[in-house]
Amino acid sequence: MISCQSFRERLAPGSNEAAVMEHLRKCDACLDFAVSVDADHFFRALDGSELTPPGGVDAFTSDVMAQVRLRQAEGSMGRRRLPNPWRLAVAAMILVGISGAAIVYRQSEQTAPVAQIQPAAHRAELVTKPIVESYDSRTATIVELRGEGASDAQVVMIFDDSLPADL
Amino acid sequence: MIPTKETVELDDRQLVETIRRGDNDAFEQLVRRKTTKVYSLCYRIIGNAEDAKDISQLVFIKLWENLDKYDPHFAFDTWLYRMVTNVAIDFLRNKQSRENAVNSNLRLVKTSSDAEQGVVVQRKEIENVFNAVATVLSPKQKTIFVMREMDDLPSSEIAKILGCRESTVRNHLFNARKLMQQQLRKRYPEYSRLWKEGQ
Ligand SMILES: [Zn+2]
Repeated sequence: MISCQSFRERLAPGSNEAAVMEHLRKCDACLDFAVSVDADHFFRALDGSELTPPGGVDAFTSDVMAQVRLRQAEGSMGRRRLPNPWRLAVAAMILVGISGAAIVYRQSEQTAPVAQIQPAAHRAELVTKPIVESYDSRTATIVELRGEGASDAQVVMIFDDSLPADL
Repeated sequence: MIPTKETVELDDRQLVETIRRGDNDAFEQLVRRKTTKVYSLCYRIIGNAEDAKDISQLVFIKLWENLDKYDPHFAFDTWLYRMVTNVAIDFLRNKQSRENAVNSNLRLVKTSSDAEQGVVVQRKEIENVFNAVATVLSPKQKTIFVMREMDDLPSSEIAKILGCRESTVRNHLFNARKLMQQQLRKRYPEYSRLWKEGQ
């Protein structure tokens, strides 16, 4: 640190010299002198050195890292739950297929006795004649319920105001 | 002898690159390196240790969330300071709107005879005086004042941090000094002798 004499010689109003500032912030004897030269040195005398947060740097860093890891965990769970646009499109197609199947099945039920139904033929008809081939919407809520076994039907529900009422 | 892990001291930009590749340890190293810098600025802007600690932690969380937006062509500290000032100014704005009325009469003014005595500046009192009179400053004025007068940052650097013109920084500084002198005269007449009338 520079001497008191050197400080007083080099101090000027608005001075911003690092050595002068250091002396101003450490030497009580020169504080009053500095403020009499330039009153703005009053607040500039506040210690500008780096401070340690309560509890110390280690505890502070641990807290930050705990929050980061929590967010990372939340983020990866969120990613797993959120279907991407392709999954949405596939889910919507499955729903449309199932809905179409239900309608066509109901119609053929009305025209033919149960005993005469040939399920395999109906299924073939459903696959080749979907009512809507894909469904894409930013506003829709799509809920997908997977069956337990491979043979179980997959149910997809779409809640969307813009969905055709007769679907 | 147990071999020790070689410690490589990466600079800020290299550290950021490593973090971007998903290295949490590198982020921990960055937090450790910048804690006192971030906390000190927060503390001087906010004026309260516990709030400053919370806000500093929030700064690092935001830093982690936004690290992909950092452009390595610019100094990392400038970007970091911008993050600190944004979060601290937001906090102060909310706090000021809640507490303005409470803060206005924190200290009884001394009698005029005390003021006439003249007084030796007490270093330990300056911080209290600053925290009391700085309540009249806008969050942005206070932030600029702290960076210029306590962190000794040049106006050009403050302008970069805040994304404004240097002339705007100088205007804020001028107004901040004026407002604080007025408050000193009103609330701390024993110190008001320091600023001559009309200065
Ligand atoms: Zn001295």
